[in-house]
Amino acid sequence: MLYDKIMALYPSLTQQDFLTVITLQNDSDGKGDYIKAWNHPTLAKPTDEELA
Amino acid sequence: MSLVLQSSGGGQITIQEPTTASNFTQTLPAATGTVMVSGNQPAFSAYLPANQSISNDTFTKVQASTEEFDTASCYDSVTNYRFTPTVAGYYQINGCVGFSAGITGQAIATIYKNGSEFKRGSQIGALTNNPSISVTALVYLNGSTDYVELYGLISTATTPRTFSVDGEKISYFQGFLVRTA
Repeated sequence: MLYDKIMALYPSLTQQDFLTVITLQNDSDGKGDYIKAWNHPTLAKPTDEELA
Repeated sequence: MSLVLQSSGGGQITIQEPTTASNFTQTLPAATGTVMVSGNQPAFSAYLPANQSISNDTFTKVQASTEEFDTASCYDSVTNYRFTPTVAGYYQINGCVGFSAGITGQAIATIYKNGSEFKRGSQIGALTNNPSISVTALVYLNGSTDYVELYGLISTATTPRTFSVDGEKISYFQGFLVRTA
């Protein structure tokens, strides 16, 4: 799952981060979870390769 | 006796007398606006028919696919689970999302408008029992392209992690026109 992959890359992320600077979303359209917004002040948005 | 108004478009509006011997007085408001009748007041109610698996910390659309009513066929219960009314105006939107037990973080119910979070409702902390939380909002919708959807989020390592159901009582989505634009 996307959340687990991101946490594996950045274990320091907290639940609060996912409610403030990072938004994961699933539109129930069969396309799965995706990063809707990534505004973390220090950690870079993971690349597609890192999330593959 | 009926009063027939011929429209410029070729159709007509008929004001029909009641089939009763009693007398009633109905006063039109001294204001400019659109008369609201049942035919131009969209309303819908739909609910999630079975538990929906969701990911941790991920805003997920509630697949409310079982319709209780959809007076103007404005709710998509098959593909997008969204309400796109055909009358511009101010809509009361209600949502309730049930969650699986064992939340260690937070649970949220929220209304999306046109694909973005618009009005967040209850946001609760750790609970062991199955919570159901609500969101309500008055939302302007333009009657053509604007739409609303119901999303939920859960923060917990506990699995299974789901939107939970109990018939039509939990995890539902509703809306109705309060007044036209």
